[in-house]
Amino acid sequence: MPFVESEGRPVEVNEEGFLVRPEEWTEEMAKHLARVEEGLAELTPEHWAVIRYIREYYLDKKLAPMVRKMCQATGFPLMKIYDLFPSGPAKGACKVAGLPKPDGCV
Amino acid sequence: MTRRRKVPSAVVDSPLDTRTQAKAKEDRLPSVEDGRLMTYEAGDNVGRFLALLAGRISRPLAVSMTACVHCGLCAESCHYFLTHPDDPTMTPVWKADQIRKVFKRHVDWTGRIAPWWVKAAAPEGDEDLNRLKNIVFGSCSACRRCTYNCPMGVDTGLLVRFTRGLLTELGIVPEGVFNVSRDQWETGNQMAVTEDDYLETLAWMRDEVRTELGTEAVEIPVDKPDCDVLYTINPREIKFDPRSIAHAAKIFHVAGESWTMPKWGWDQTNFGLFSGDDRLGAYVARNVYEAADRLRAKRIVISECGHGYRSTRWEGYDWAGYDQKRPTESVVVTLKRYLEEGRIDVDPSRNAEPVTFHDSCNIARSGDLVEEPREVLRRVCADFREMHPNRRENFCCTGGGGLLSMAEYRPLRLESAKIKADQLRATGAKLVCTMCHNCVDGLNDVIKHYQIPMKVVQVLELVSNALIVPPRRKA
Amino acid sequence: MSALLRLFENEVQIAALSFMAVVYVVRLAWIFRFKTRRDRTFAAGDERAGAGYSLMNIAMPGAMESTRKRPFFYAQFVIFHLGVAAAIAGTFIIPYAPGLFRHAVLVRLFRAVVGAAFVVGLIRMGRRLTNPVLRTVSSPDDYFALALLIVWFAAAVLAMPNRPEQGEAPLIAYFGLTAFFLVYVPFSKICHYLYYPFTRYYLGRSLGHRGALPPAVKAKEPV
Repeated sequence: MPFVESEGRPVEVNEEGFLVRPEEWTEEMAKHLARVEEGLAELTPEHWAVIRYIREYYLDKKLAPMVRKMCQATGFPLMKIYDLFPSGPAKGACKVAGLPKPDGCV
Repeated sequence: MTRRRKVPSAVVDSPLDTRTQAKAKEDRLPSVEDGRLMTYEAGDNVGRFLALLAGRISRPLAVSMTACVHCGLCAESCHYFLTHPDDPTMTPVWKADQIRKVFKRHVDWTGRIAPWWVKAAAPEGDEDLNRLKNIVFGSCSACRRCTYNCPMGVDTGLLVRFTRGLLTELGIVPEGVFNVSRDQWETGNQMAVTEDDYLETLAWMRDEVRTELGTEAVEIPVDKPDCDVLYTINPREIKFDPRSIAHAAKIFHVAGESWTMPKWGWDQTNFGLFSGDDRLGAYVARNVYEAADRLRAKRIVISECGHGYRSTRWEGYDWAGYDQKRPTESVVVTLKRYLEEGRIDVDPSRNAEPVTFHDSCNIARSGDLVEEPREVLRRVCADFREMHPNRRENFCCTGGGGLLSMAEYRPLRLESAKIKADQLRATGAKLVCTMCHNCVDGLNDVIKHYQIPMKVVQVLELVSNALIVPPRRKA
Repeated sequence: MSALLRLFENEVQIAALSFMAVVYVVRLAWIFRFKTRRDRTFAAGDERAGAGYSLMNIAMPGAMESTRKRPFFYAQFVIFHLGVAAAIAGTFIIPYAPGLFRHAVLVRLFRAVVGAAFVVGLIRMGRRLTNPVLRTVSSPDDYFALALLIVWFAAAVLAMPNRPEQGEAPLIAYFGLTAFFLVYVPFSKICHYLYYPFTRYYLGRSLGHRGALPPAVKAKEPV
């Protein structure tokens, strides 16, 4: 599986660009993933609000949060999540937050 | 199968990964414990495979095995081969031969006496079965385009599903296939959405539509008996993008529909179609049919999903051994009826950007809907244009057959998507509309990979955009 | 005509035909042992129309992209199979209706058709030996069946003037190969014509039920 460079260390991603080992995630990684996978040149505080929420939820529950919870926690409407992360909450935001690929046909 | 190929083949060489299977066994999941969800066990898997093959083969499949004359006409109908023209292992005939050779060796005549004469060969170990897994799960989206182009009527798409089913029974499946099957067995839906999440999301979307229309009169009824319509959805709509639920709710409200969603049995998708597991297929489909029975709904309406439509409208009744009692239709057909009966009014100028339509394999080739979505789109869009080829000859989005859940096969499928990319670009459209959630993700992958300036939309969204809400339906 | 030739033209043919018929009956019984399952859904189209359309496939090159894009390939198919029909007809005409082959025009027609099929056979053998896809999937049976047909066509062309007094070799070859062909067919891909009605019927019925075939025919009640 491919590797990407982050802070001088190689980090393994799967064929879809998701981290193989979520524990290797760092904020630097997030910026890299956002740039390469989502075409986001930079991450605004609004992006980070979503990313941090997802990361905390995942570390606590070992699951990706439902998009409803993302909206509730950040106060953003659904459209806003899509504006921030063009690939959507699962393939966009969760990927940037270092989560593994969600199961299912997505 | 001992002779290794001398020519490099694009078949993905992915080993069998049973980590999540091991965890499922360790956690003593009910579906594993009572043998509904099969896991990999070391042992005589080849023997079991051959026994399953002989026991399960039906007449239509048996004649598909014997009728192939190796004419090679199927090759140029397949997006895998068209994008890998120097690789014979990407042709439908070669892929079908990988199970056909086993049939010839174990079930047919000449292959048992003189196997080398007809190239009959049984697998020799788990390695061979794993390689077969990589072929039938990873090099084919079971789109049946080859079936439609075979002069003998060999159904390679169905042979691939059959082979998948045999491997699924042995637990020799890609990890993604196991995971989704497990989720659907354990939770009744493909993405392990809980009842709370489901109900909360419905309530959330109801509130969104109420806000948009400015009236409290909008409802998304759950478990309401004696309605005309039982609406069933794809779990993706709860977990990842509920906007389509809002679109449906708004349209049902404006049309004055008597409808409900069930609390249990709301998942119209069906991984049994992809894994080849009729048992899972029956379970999931039956949940929907019994929900309709329980609530005495007059009609089952299926949200936009290709494999879900095929599974719930067509194959599910056969898998479940349940005679169809009530009309079961796609929501696109419902929308068409609303437009024809004047139950909703639309303004096509609201969808001004040029739109093209992608025909989903499970709906067009394996089902009946080809003109219906077009009739709706012509009414709600200002500039609708066809891609070529279209209708039943359209090309797969490349995300079919469950491929989106199998990350290891993604690079190959994106290579095969070049044809789809060229098709999309040639239309000059800004939007591509499809009736299938899998196609939405499949096409999004194509668009992103080939950098095509297009967006993917579904019919519900376009109708919702164009919807003219009469004053009595809002504040 | 010698006793040998008479034997080949009659008893040997009948024995070979009988053998083939018996094996075919067993083969059909074998096919019918496999189960079918009925559809439990409301139809969205017409099963019979779908099956009929599907069965007519070989006569409708425009129906499939594959044959539409390769009209020359399709023409070869037609010529080849007309040649088969003519060559088989010859094995009945010569012993039982030899008067027909005393008309020079008819003999020339038959020889032309079988001769064209012979040329197509050579073209197809060339393809099977050089096309990478076909080389990968073809079995010894695929090559042998085609080679057998090519040689048989040649023998037929030589034998059809039906003049044993000018040399019996072509006639003995023709009838000998026919007998071998009849015995070999049930164990080879050549009996694909036996399977054609089955595959096309089941596919057509299933797709007809689902309103997918024939194109643009729907049930009256939308379900």
